[in-house]
Amino acid sequence: MKIFNSIKWRLQLWYGLILVLVLAGFGIIALQLQYERQMSLLNAELEFRFQKVVSALHPHPPPPDQRSDEFPPQDLRSREFHLPPEAQALFDSDDPHHFYFIIWDDNEDKKIAQSTNALIFSRPNHLYQFGFTRRLPSGEMVSIECCNVPELHELKVAAWKLAGAGVVILIFGLAVGGWLVSHAIRPINSISDAAVKISAGDLSQRINVAETESELGKLAAVLNSTFARLEAAFAQQKQFASDAAHELRTPVSVILTQTQTALNREREAKDYKETIEACQRAAQRMKRLISALLELARFDAGQEHVKRKQLDLTQTVHDCVEMIRPIAEEHGLKLISEFSPVEITGDSERLTQVVTNLLMNAIQYNKPRGEIRVKLESKNGLAILTVADTGQGISHLDLPHVFKRFYRGDKSRTGASNTGLGLAICKATVEAHGGTIEVASQEEVGTTFTIRLPS
Amino acid sequence: MRILIVEDEPDLLRSLAQALREEGYAVDTAPDGEEGSYKTESYDYDAIVLDVMLPKMDGWEILKCLRKTKKTPVLMLTARDQTRDRVKGLDSGADDYIVKPFDLSELFARLRSIIRRSNNKTTNIIEISDVKIDTAARNIFVKDKPVELTAREYALVEFMALHRGEVVTRTQLYEHLFDENESSLSNLLDVHVSNVRKKLGAEFIVTRRGHGYCIE
Repeated sequence: MKIFNSIKWRLQLWYGLILVLVLAGFGIIALQLQYERQMSLLNAELEFRFQKVVSALHPHPPPPDQRSDEFPPQDLRSREFHLPPEAQALFDSDDPHHFYFIIWDDNEDKKIAQSTNALIFSRPNHLYQFGFTRRLPSGEMVSIECCNVPELHELKVAAWKLAGAGVVILIFGLAVGGWLVSHAIRPINSISDAAVKISAGDLSQRINVAETESELGKLAAVLNSTFARLEAAFAQQKQFASDAAHELRTPVSVILTQTQTALNREREAKDYKETIEACQRAAQRMKRLISALLELARFDAGQEHVKRKQLDLTQTVHDCVEMIRPIAEEHGLKLISEFSPVEITGDSERLTQVVTNLLMNAIQYNKPRGEIRVKLESKNGLAILTVADTGQGISHLDLPHVFKRFYRGDKSRTGASNTGLGLAICKATVEAHGGTIEVASQEEVGTTFTIRLPS
Repeated sequence: MRILIVEDEPDLLRSLAQALREEGYAVDTAPDGEEGSYKTESYDYDAIVLDVMLPKMDGWEILKCLRKTKKTPVLMLTARDQTRDRVKGLDSGADDYIVKPFDLSELFARLRSIIRRSNNKTTNIIEISDVKIDTAARNIFVKDKPVELTAREYALVEFMALHRGEVVTRTQLYEHLFDENESSLSNLLDVHVSNVRKKLGAEFIVTRRGHGYCIE
């Protein structure tokens, strides 16, 4: 059964079948034509002899110069009938057909004449006998037949030869067809080989695309790009898991070291309190990290639900700014806001989180006595929110990576509240709203984040 | 033994310093890369515990600067545990490598091991005539009888035993027995030396006038 499931063998089978039908058709037609030609030649021979016999039986008035006693009109009922010798030769010769004739009177059922080689009397009815019997207007029956048809034998030989040639052509055709099919199918094999290796876990496998223009070549190219994306996604996932584990290691180290030190010997209540406080800080850091990770994981899985409600974005941003203002003032920073009324559909809680995050970053990375400018406007059907600080700026090396998870410009964990996921979450949230977030920065001048949301 | 810890997570730094002090080490701390690098240049520590991810200057850079001038044993402390990170660490001149989160007992053992190796010792036991020092258990025996020493006295004996046959100056002793926060009262050292002589025998530590002390 397996062999019939293979495309190659199915193609071969159909191809072979069609080849057999075509060859057989041609063979039969050729034989038929040959047979008809032979038969018409044979009929002409028979007709020729019939005419000879008839003209001997009822000679037409011969041309004047030949009118003689040599061919006198014969009364067949009374006399012996004799063919002229050259007509006789048509029957008695060594001709392999063995032509013969019989003439009899149908009314009296009496044989009138027959060639010397006539085998039987009465109407011949043998297998290999060809010929015809005709009633002459004068009442005689004339039968001209032959008892051997070598053409039929030749035809048989020709048929065998044709069949032999057909088999040779069939074998050759199948061989060529098989080669063509396996050549055509080879890319499928390399595709399936690569796919097998990939499903076994080797994501770096690619299909070797030799001919990119054919249908299979295009398919292979599409599959290759799919594999590449798959590999990138896996690598990203792996990196993310490793980063997450990495971020959790430090707080776990704190807890381990703190508790092991504390338990080494008896301590005063004050020392235990300090240890517990340090452990609490570490645990809270892990908690923040875990909820941020979960949030991102849900965005990744497309499960994070973003409410789509009509929303006064101006009010939302205004509330954020007013909430953050005391913190900015505490840091000696000036918070300047400029709003024009904008309404969008979106999730107010999540957008609040985004704006707060950007504002907290602007405070954290600002210069002393710097400023933060928040601007909200509506342009071309988009709500555009910019948060600009006058801080240290982001180096052009770090700039393309700021939205990446756990990416930190200064390679440190300064500020335990910084999970390294804030901007990644901002980006995921904005994108879930169908918007974009961009950053522009100049070192020692400041950084500007721009969010565009469809209104 | 004086040790420097460079670590930016304040809670971890504090508890590590406390734990190592309780182990009898003199401990200096640095909360960022710049300060860490400055301190590694300024003092001859017996060992350095160095975090990799640090603000201002990361652990690799500090190590690179340090290795230009000094052979101080360095134990790298990192959250990365992939083989290539370990290889990078060891190849850049780190003497050992420990991955967060770690057990304090393992950290102590690795520290002892790199200090021992830097002093060309193969075991934790140092024997000097009748006196046997177990640097892992931090015990001292005289004729197989345990002798009670204070942490500072033990540190003095251990440091001098590791530099056996060399003259150890008073400055060297101050640098290795006291950390940056302790006021160095010059006669404090004499008190410790005289206490050790009382406990381990008057000839155990020889005074080289004008130079320092020596265990022969």
